[in-house]
Amino acid sequence: MSEAMNYRLGFDIGGTFTDFVLVDERSGRAFLNKCLTTPDDPSRGVMDGLGPMLRDSNIAGEEIDIAIHGTTLITNALIERNGARTAMLATSGFRDVLEMGTEVRYDIYDLFLEKPAPLVPRKWRYDVEERLDKDGNVLIALDEASLRETAAEIRRHEVEALAVVFLHSFRNPANEKRAREILAEELPQVSICVSSEVAPEIREFERMSTTVANAYVQPLTRHYIDVIEHQLRDMGYGRRLFLMISSGGITTSETAKEFPIRMVESGPAAGVLAATYYGRNMGLDRMVTFDMGGTTAKIGLVKDHQATKASVIEVGRVKRFMKGSGLPIRVPVVELIEIGAGGGSIAQVDILGLLKVGPRSAGADPGPACYGRGGENPTVTDADVILGYLDPNYFLGGTMKLDVEAAKKAVEEKLAKPLGMTANDAARGIFEVVNQNMLAAMKVHIAERGEDPRKFYLFAFGGAGPAHAYELARALHMKGVVVPPGAGATSAMGLITTAVSFDFARSFVTRLDAVRWDEIGAVFEDMATEGLAILEDAGIAPDSKGVTVVHSMDLRHKGQGHEVTVEIPKKTYDQRSTEALAELFYERHREKYGHAHTHLAVELVTCRTVVGAPPPVVPLHLSEDPAADSQAVLKGKRPVFFPESGEYQDTPVYDRYRLVPESSFPGPAIIEERECTVVAGPSSQISVDAFGSLFIDILPAVKVGKDHA
Amino acid sequence: MPSPTELDPITVEVQWNRLISIMDEVDIALVRTSFSTIVGESRDFAVIMLDRQGRSLAQSQLSSPAFTVHLPITVKHLLEVFPVEDLVPGDVLITNDPWIGTGHLPDLCIIMPVFIDGAVVAFMACAAHVADIGGRLDFFDARDLFEEGLRIPPSKLWLAGQENMQLFRIIEANVRVPDMVLGDIRAIVGAEGLGLDRLVEFLSDYGGVEAFHALAEDILNRSEKAMRQALSELPDGTWSYDLDADGFKTPLHVRTTVSKRGDRVHVDFTGSSSQFENASINCVPNCTFADAFYPIKCSLTPDLPNNEGLFRPLTVFAPEGSVFNTTFPSAVKSRSKTSFHINVAVYGAMAGPMPDRVQAGSGSFWAITLHGTHPDGTVFNVHILPNGGKGATATMDGLPTIAFPYNGTVTPTEIIENQAPLVVGYKRLIADSGGPGRQRGGLGQEIELRVLGEGSLVASLRPDKVRFPPPGIQGGEPGRAGRFDVDGEVVSVEPRTLQPGQAYHMELPGGGGYGDPRERPTEIVARDVLDGYVSVVAAREHYGVAVDPETGKAERLSD
Repeated sequence: MSEAMNYRLGFDIGGTFTDFVLVDERSGRAFLNKCLTTPDDPSRGVMDGLGPMLRDSNIAGEEIDIAIHGTTLITNALIERNGARTAMLATSGFRDVLEMGTEVRYDIYDLFLEKPAPLVPRKWRYDVEERLDKDGNVLIALDEASLRETAAEIRRHEVEALAVVFLHSFRNPANEKRAREILAEELPQVSICVSSEVAPEIREFERMSTTVANAYVQPLTRHYIDVIEHQLRDMGYGRRLFLMISSGGITTSETAKEFPIRMVESGPAAGVLAATYYGRNMGLDRMVTFDMGGTTAKIGLVKDHQATKASVIEVGRVKRFMKGSGLPIRVPVVELIEIGAGGGSIAQVDILGLLKVGPRSAGADPGPACYGRGGENPTVTDADVILGYLDPNYFLGGTMKLDVEAAKKAVEEKLAKPLGMTANDAARGIFEVVNQNMLAAMKVHIAERGEDPRKFYLFAFGGAGPAHAYELARALHMKGVVVPPGAGATSAMGLITTAVSFDFARSFVTRLDAVRWDEIGAVFEDMATEGLAILEDAGIAPDSKGVTVVHSMDLRHKGQGHEVTVEIPKKTYDQRSTEALAELFYERHREKYGHAHTHLAVELVTCRTVVGAPPPVVPLHLSEDPAADSQAVLKGKRPVFFPESGEYQDTPVYDRYRLVPESSFPGPAIIEERECTVVAGPSSQISVDAFGSLFIDILPAVKVGKDHA
Repeated sequence: MPSPTELDPITVEVQWNRLISIMDEVDIALVRTSFSTIVGESRDFAVIMLDRQGRSLAQSQLSSPAFTVHLPITVKHLLEVFPVEDLVPGDVLITNDPWIGTGHLPDLCIIMPVFIDGAVVAFMACAAHVADIGGRLDFFDARDLFEEGLRIPPSKLWLAGQENMQLFRIIEANVRVPDMVLGDIRAIVGAEGLGLDRLVEFLSDYGGVEAFHALAEDILNRSEKAMRQALSELPDGTWSYDLDADGFKTPLHVRTTVSKRGDRVHVDFTGSSSQFENASINCVPNCTFADAFYPIKCSLTPDLPNNEGLFRPLTVFAPEGSVFNTTFPSAVKSRSKTSFHINVAVYGAMAGPMPDRVQAGSGSFWAITLHGTHPDGTVFNVHILPNGGKGATATMDGLPTIAFPYNGTVTPTEIIENQAPLVVGYKRLIADSGGPGRQRGGLGQEIELRVLGEGSLVASLRPDKVRFPPPGIQGGEPGRAGRFDVDGEVVSVEPRTLQPGQAYHMELPGGGGYGDPRERPTEIVARDVLDGYVSVVAAREHYGVAVDPETGKAERLSD
């Protein structure tokens, strides 16, 4: 396929910044850009950044072969609760399931347990007479007359979105679809989605939660993608817009607008995919990924060069880091945990007189006090400026001047005075508290995977990640920190370094030994054909080298409640051998759980097909102008605060773009690039590899620190 | 004061978390490989790790709390019968004796020793409620233990890696759904095997057996110290609380006296009902201890991972032959009808010394078992454990329909209907069921189960708080009591054969309120009315607030 590809464009809308990467696959030239996200109309930020980048690089919109987009707007809408006014329609008698949930307590010893408020308050939850049995047979027909009356009432509440969730609809979507038809007639302005399309899986609460979340974010997603597509067309881009979904796969904009919830972790997933890409090049098979942007920090795990995956994600956890305390969303995802800790996180004094940071964020507008856009609340970025980590004159490469005085004033007035301390100490407090928040989450995540942080490098990116990573790695006794080139736009890099692939699934409950191969084969072939067609739309011919079609089945012992996914080897597929498949299943089950019940029959639950192109070969040299000697890379020195020494140290500042590949120098050091600043503390040795990645190895002498809480 | 052997806190934290993560992995493996709704959906089990002396070190984070206290006692009992030196790799032990285990027969306790170089270094243990254990289908009416099903004395379930076929055949022959029960047993042993592998990896990563034993001591000592510290901060004193509960044919009386001196606490149940001769609601001492420990742990050390060190400052007494220290062979199947009131009594007693850390009575779960035969001859057995509302606390309304003090997941409607021939008619919140209070009790729920198709099924229901509702606390009012009927006709709790078209209807109780309802802010009462949690009438009568349900306009009425 590479012969057909010239320019790949990736752009990722984060909570605070929108990042861009444009790569010429033939020459390996890469262009990066970063600009503020414009939450009122995210497409404006896209155009603000894209226009100048195309101009500077002399590339016309027509020349771009594929544009891939990632976003965190969807997660942020769910966390900040600024999605659509959403109503829900359930089967009569079941509207409260959304609130009742699983009835389990996620923390068994917390008397003061909180649960996230449902996205739809009870007063906007409706139900209607209709009922299917477990096989999808109609027990009670949809009461169309009363549905029209309900629609009239919904109209009075001026809702913008509506989720329809009927019991057993994943077996027979007819009632849900008919309800949608009627509601669409009655409520033409309302965006409607149905559970049999959004999350066609058994277990009504999770399906309901997922469908409601989809409805909640659909109007805003649909609108902004429409606008972006339109503007890309105006720039001359002639192909479809593709979007990254949470699993790291790619989908079309049409599908993304129908099922925005599948993109709930799209930007962050792209970041982890970029990490796997760099890791492969660097020969690092184990990394903790740490992506700290303006609003949140996300932590993922890469083992054996693979991102860990999950089939359900929770958004907006109400108890810090606690599994079960968020809204469950049933979509395949790259596994990440997310904390409300970013450059924009606001610091404040709580009622107990303690300094708290986040999860509230100043976002991009007004942003941190130092942005000088009217923000009065002190944030993490303000502290980073005061502590010397950020150069106020070189933020975003100097295109945005930071106002140090405004930062100091905010910290002074909102924190230092009420806490009775100096502004410097308060700034240091912000830095330490936000780091502690992230440390606690990171520790739990690594431990839950049964891993030891001491064996991992911390792969740091995002606008604020490289500035905070050294302290985290030091506290967790990790090997060190890796900062890829273009660390301020790594998620965007992940968009273009990932393989284009499409996932399909069809539920199909039957005993494996009763499978009719002609039927199953047709299902698999359908999915493959559909995938190859979309691939062709993305400019990749189905017969290109490296295009793969992989079939798998979710299987279980008959009577079991959960499945194991078994990839079907080509030979077995061609032989249509259910015996061989059953053997494979027993083997996988034994591998995973230590035992298998070979005397029990095997049941097929879902058929899956993945159609994919090979990952593109994107060269990685971003170093623009390596310096002739070590002095030339030095931009100067400035005082920087380091917790381990407890004082400001005069610290050399390096220009990342001029670092000499395969060179090495001791910390402390500040290394600046346009999109982010890398901080390396006194107890470190920094080396630059051939691709321009930075390794900050933490020296063993300091691994006995006791300042770790 | 730190003892000289105390380990470096970072090491302990990292390794302790890893032990917990191993048990979480065991937990997930069990859920994903189980065959019954009671394990796979309701999560009525615990998985814990114990040291070689049978002291609990770590548990999965969602383990059912009472089991985590029972299991260390069980393991120590089993080790008296099978001393460690007689065990060999590949052995697995089992019992369901109520006085050794968790207090009733359906819970199988399955224990796997972990060997390193020929010596036992730890145990993986699981207590899980299996789908059936034979005996009567009902929950209450047994006159003694022998009517309640198959009793497995301490036995070897696996012998040096081989299934004990005789025992498997005995179990198979005595339960109604053998595939499900044996499937779950094998899933438990498989999951424990995974934990064993992970622990062996852990030992090789972190300095082997001796380092592990040092870690175990450290975890237990640190935990004990923290509990003692928290107890020291409470005033000394003795406080009592009395409550009446439904019982079965006659009500149950619970009298709890809590004495706190220095860094110790003692709970005494003298004055409670004698054991019942005609009701399966008697508690063995293990259960009484576990349910007395639980509320104290929640109030005093909520953030500490649970282990045996936390139990040490607590002692419990109940006279022999009383409902809280019942003698063999009393009937015990539905002991939760008794033990679930212990937390309410302990909090009632301790509202004086720690009013900000107690909770009003909760609705708790009702057990429903549906049993019968599908047209194709296969047997079904479905457990549903729906919950009433949680009691309110000093700062929070009670959550609606959530497990307490037990923890588990309700079986989803779609799973119920896939396994049993019935239709769930509705499952919804009950307005006004939360006990009025400055903090309102959590709402209960109503559920209808209607039989579908041609065949009948047997429904066994274990309700509670029908005669005596969950009490309020600190001036809060009680939650709404539960109710149930069959097609509108009030029935008794005996198992009922439901014919096609017949429906069981149940209303689970709401949680009690905390504090004077007239102190509840007007705007919060108004919001409750708009959302339909509280009716206009109740807002007026209990909260003294007039609310316009259309506009939400609210005003406080003068008394």
